[in-house]
Amino acid sequence: MKRRLQGSPVLLIVGLLVLLCIPGFWWQPHQAASVRAHYQSALAPVFLVPGSSATQNRFNALVKELNHETPKPHSLIRVEVLTNGHLHYSGHLRHGDNRPFIVVGFENHHDGYANILKQAQWFTIAFKALQKTYQFNHFSAMGHSNGGLILTLFMEQDLAATKAKADRLMTIASPFNLEESDAEVDTPLFKQLVAKRDQLPKRLLVYSIAGSQTFAGDGIVPFDSVNRGKFIFQGRVKNFTQITVTGANANHADLPENKQIVGLIRQDLLT
Amino acid sequence: MPSLTVWGQRLVKFELAWQRHQQVRAIRHALRLTFPLVFLGSLATFIDQAWLQTTGYYYQTLHVNHWLLQLTLLKRYVRLVSAGTLGFSGIMVAFAVSYYLVADKTAHPTDRLLAGVTAVIGMKFFNVDRGTVLQVQSIKWSANNLGLSGILLGILMGVLVGNSFRWVVQRRTTQEEQLTQSLWLTSIWTLGTAAVGLLWVSAQTVSFNATLIGLLRWPFRLSHFIVGLWGFSALTGVFAWLGMLGLLATTGQTVETAQNLAAVLLHHGWQLPYPLTVHTVISVYANFGGSGMVLGLLLALFLTRPPRAQRRIGWLSVLPTLGNLNAPLMTGLPVILDPLLGIPFLLAPLATITVSWICLHLNWVPAVAYPLAAGTLAPLLAYLGTGGNWRAFALALVDLAISTAIYWPFLKWLWLAEAQGGDEK
Repeated sequence: MKRRLQGSPVLLIVGLLVLLCIPGFWWQPHQAASVRAHYQSALAPVFLVPGSSATQNRFNALVKELNHETPKPHSLIRVEVLTNGHLHYSGHLRHGDNRPFIVVGFENHHDGYANILKQAQWFTIAFKALQKTYQFNHFSAMGHSNGGLILTLFMEQDLAATKAKADRLMTIASPFNLEESDAEVDTPLFKQLVAKRDQLPKRLLVYSIAGSQTFAGDGIVPFDSVNRGKFIFQGRVKNFTQITVTGANANHADLPENKQIVGLIRQDLLT
Repeated sequence: MPSLTVWGQRLVKFELAWQRHQQVRAIRHALRLTFPLVFLGSLATFIDQAWLQTTGYYYQTLHVNHWLLQLTLLKRYVRLVSAGTLGFSGIMVAFAVSYYLVADKTAHPTDRLLAGVTAVIGMKFFNVDRGTVLQVQSIKWSANNLGLSGILLGILMGVLVGNSFRWVVQRRTTQEEQLTQSLWLTSIWTLGTAAVGLLWVSAQTVSFNATLIGLLRWPFRLSHFIVGLWGFSALTGVFAWLGMLGLLATTGQTVETAQNLAAVLLHHGWQLPYPLTVHTVISVYANFGGSGMVLGLLLALFLTRPPRAQRRIGWLSVLPTLGNLNAPLMTGLPVILDPLLGIPFLLAPLATITVSWICLHLNWVPAVAYPLAAGTLAPLLAYLGTGGNWRAFALALVDLAISTAIYWPFLKWLWLAEAQGGDEK
């Protein structure tokens, strides 16, 4: 009698142990998928896409300024996508750098709706090649002028297939309605962006920055065109913030070197 | 075996002498006094970490967020309970040690309570927010090191303050309360500890506890050699046995762990660049029930027919220990500052580390790469960490059996000591 009583607490505890292990065994087949879904690579590059008439060297000064006060400077990798889809690399990833800047420029960097669509396709080619080389699964991005349009098109059309996650997007003076100054007119690009806005990543944080030279726009892009970003992003992504910058260097071309914008990039994109 | 019995007898005799020493008796009573709060806090921590956090075992396997209502509210409540109970265990111990040291020398409650309170105040002076002291701001007290990791400091304060009160009370010629004496004592301690606290805060930017934790990490970078792992385990074990619980969490190995995970996810097969680290060996195979393989202690406790009080403590500690929290057993039995339990507390992890290291080194068992959920049942840590490998599970069961076997004789000797009166006079 005593021996049976002595054994039974241990049996009870062992029984409890087995019982509590059951959820673990039952869940284990789903574990690999769950780990993969939650996995965040250490490397999370920051893509920079310039606007029309600009090459992959457009942001050299900006990166230099951003690296100015950081203890660990970010690497700069420049990629040029040629019209035949081939890639031309320069720069390298420094060992231990988890947030390099990757600038993607295009051989055909002209303006226009048709060109922008082609540039979005070329960006996808570059993105997939870089993803294969560097094995990252999340990233942030900044696009100046048409660069913001290219990134938005990429995120709507091709991002899901790459299985990467977009953390933050910053568009600087991006004309979502091209250079149309009439608020009643919707360009085909705008209609396309609005049509596919449900494909945007739900956890994306978006910052849209407008520059200004006059009360109508930044000298090239009207305010109404930049403001149209709200029809695309608001309510579709996690957070949408729109900022208007005025003062020195706030006209369209000078915006990437604007000190306020450099500060915003540091604060909102690089955190 | 006659030689074992001789050693056993020697250990039991030493244990009794140790337990009956007046200082140790006060410390043991104080630790047992904190057990109810530690038990409650550990239960709350178990529920929080394992059921309510996204990194919890039950949260993930039972999909808690799909069926539990008011998850956030419950999480906040449980965290508050845990912080309020466990987060004050160091202070409680300081109070109680000082109180018990004075209790048998005087019948006046005021003397006893004043001794306890003075110890608490002294301890507080070592836990003040540095910035608010050095600049002219209203002083803020930090609560970081007053919890489980502060039990050692609490014991030290209690012993120092309590003994001074005890000495004064012993030399009283009359049995009446003497306010001036008590006032002098309390003032000296208060002003003294305030001065030392200020000195510490001016000279150091980190707290006393954080300095000790820094000492822990310093020598053991060679963790792929087994000696490094032994050293790390022994050092954390000694600190835990002295009363600094809950230190095993930070090891500074996250870069290797991240690279292991990346290697497994991005390539086929299970090839790890760092198969032997503190994480893959100690966190998985030497942490059953918390540091010291306390789950083995729990099983051995029930296998050896304990006396009633300890059996009750064992039953109450089942759930937290299954959730890898060793605080209830550490303060309830207590294991802290108990030589007879301290030996297996250090030996059991060393044994399991050796066995596991050999198996990993010879590639009989793969190393873990997947992240480990909090509150995972001990044998499942290896199984889930390797993505469902049965050999890892078998190794874990073997380790559990080894640790239970190591605790078994020591617990039998401990009950022998208890049967001979334990720490009663």
